[in-house]
Amino acid sequence: MNRFTAGLSLRARLYLFSGAILTLFAVNVSTHLWGSLARTESLVAYRDTVNAAQLTDDLQQSLEAARQQILVLSTLRETTEEPLDTSERDSALSELQDIDAKVRRLGTIGNEGTEDYYLRLKESTTLLLAVWQNFYRQYNDTDTALDVDSAVNFNDALQRLGELDQRQQFLAIQRSNAIDRTIALTDRITVIGFITTIAVTLVLVVILIRATNASLQRLKTGAQRFGSGDLTYRIKESLEAGEIRDLARTFNDMSGKLQTAIDDVQSAKADADAANDAKSMFLANVSHELRTPLNAIIGYSEMLQDEIGDPGEVDRAQFRHDLGTIIFSGRQLLSLINDILDLSKIETGKMQVGLEWFQPAALIFQVCDALSPLVNQYNNRFELVIDNDSMGEMNSDPSKLQQIVTNLFSNACKFTENGVITVAASMDDEWLTVSVTDTGIGMTADQQSRVFQAFVQAESSTGAKYGGTGLGLAIVKEFCTMLGGTIDLQSQPGVGSRFSVQLPVDPESTLANA
Amino acid sequence: MSAQHLSVLLVEDNALNRDMLSRRLDRAGFAVVLAEDGAQALEKMRDAKPDVVLLDMNLPIKDGWTVASEAKADAAIAAIPIIALTAHAMEADRQKALSAGCDDYATKPIDFPGLVAKIQGVLPS
Repeated sequence: MNRFTAGLSLRARLYLFSGAILTLFAVNVSTHLWGSLARTESLVAYRDTVNAAQLTDDLQQSLEAARQQILVLSTLRETTEEPLDTSERDSALSELQDIDAKVRRLGTIGNEGTEDYYLRLKESTTLLLAVWQNFYRQYNDTDTALDVDSAVNFNDALQRLGELDQRQQFLAIQRSNAIDRTIALTDRITVIGFITTIAVTLVLVVILIRATNASLQRLKTGAQRFGSGDLTYRIKESLEAGEIRDLARTFNDMSGKLQTAIDDVQSAKADADAANDAKSMFLANVSHELRTPLNAIIGYSEMLQDEIGDPGEVDRAQFRHDLGTIIFSGRQLLSLINDILDLSKIETGKMQVGLEWFQPAALIFQVCDALSPLVNQYNNRFELVIDNDSMGEMNSDPSKLQQIVTNLFSNACKFTENGVITVAASMDDEWLTVSVTDTGIGMTADQQSRVFQAFVQAESSTGAKYGGTGLGLAIVKEFCTMLGGTIDLQSQPGVGSRFSVQLPVDPESTLANA
Repeated sequence: MSAQHLSVLLVEDNALNRDMLSRRLDRAGFAVVLAEDGAQALEKMRDAKPDVVLLDMNLPIKDGWTVASEAKADAAIAAIPIIALTAHAMEADRQKALSAGCDDYATKPIDFPGLVAKIQGVLPS
């Protein structure tokens, strides 16, 4: 039953169970009505029986009284010959008619079972009454001998009457027994039906409650699991039907959406945490990088202050050298601060692009020339390969191109020892290509994937080993994008790196054609 | 013990900082021995047996933390006090240096009188 009702909706179950209970109830009511009908029939039969018995008694008495009267009159006629007056005769005839009417009335009571008996009685009484009527009509006609000795007829009529009475009683008993059996049967059916209705109702109610309760229990379990944070749990929709299945599906959908939302929030939080960690590390690196030139600036300044108080001649050459280191360190500090400001501007969307026509070949040459001291720092060799034939003017932001080349070049110098650094530039109608190639330490694929992110160096420890805030390449990448170009990196650990920048010669025409 | 009798091993890879600090220590009366990387530092500790080591942590070949822990593991030089010099200014960096075996810690930019006081402080009395 449970398996059967499990496929039905709650509403269907309620309708089904109400229907079943109503059907049983209707059966009960009709059985009861049948019983009532039988009782009514029984009463009618009882009344008929009583009426018939009374009528039979009455008829028997009337017949006996009439015969008594006739026997008396017959004796008087023979002895006194006194005539019967008309009123007496009419009265006697009317009594005979009454008897006839009673016989007929008896005929209206009863049914097929007594018909034969009634017809025999009727035949007999008709004959008897005809003899008696004849007696009264011819009473004063003294010549006629009257047949009054109708004992045979009379006894015959009485016997027929007795037979009819018996027959009627027999039938009444038979009918009464049948009705009693019907009443007993309907009573039994009513009681059984009543008990059955109660039992079935109870069973159906229990099934309905248990099935509904089990469904609600499963929903509750699901809701509790969701509430306790287990959003991977799913309510089994296949066990439910109708509204409860809809509800279960809604619950499951809700849980799925919550899970997605929580995943989103968690991944956003992880991103935020990662960004926060990166910024903390960046601040530590910035702090480290600021302190390194500051150490030289403060240290040399204090030392000069001490030395200027010494007695005797000042070593002017030494002084000039020391002041030079202070200036160099101060400039290093400045460029670092500029990098940080640049990135901050880029991040807040305030970095402007100022397009103008200029000669990139000249600019690249100047940058490399200015940075040539870096090449010698780790005993490197420098090669500049500019395809002068192809190089013309371009419409771009020269200060940004300058910074791109500066950052790539100083990066190459920083990570290369006893190697070669090559800067190459060429141009076609649409694109300027500048590449900076080194034979330095190179990067793994994983490092390459992260190297353009702000605040990140290829490896946390390279900041310690090689210095730098990890801003240079992030700025280069951002500038390339702002100028409508791209940057490409090819690198192999221990072999070297090649950064290749492509910038549109004229953003308006190049990018329009693209 | 006066500065005149003390020898200091200064380990620093940055040429400017090495030049500056060695000259100031010299002026203050210390006998200065120089090293430019971690390997040199251990070598000079064993050879020169300085009274104190001023150790930059960001060194090529062998970094300062490795130098400190290897020095403390070598019985011949374990007793030489080491002061870490670094531009890493966070508390965690100080702890990292001390747990590597350094006896004290000074942050760049160097407060020179403070550094001299720290040198006096780490010497056995």
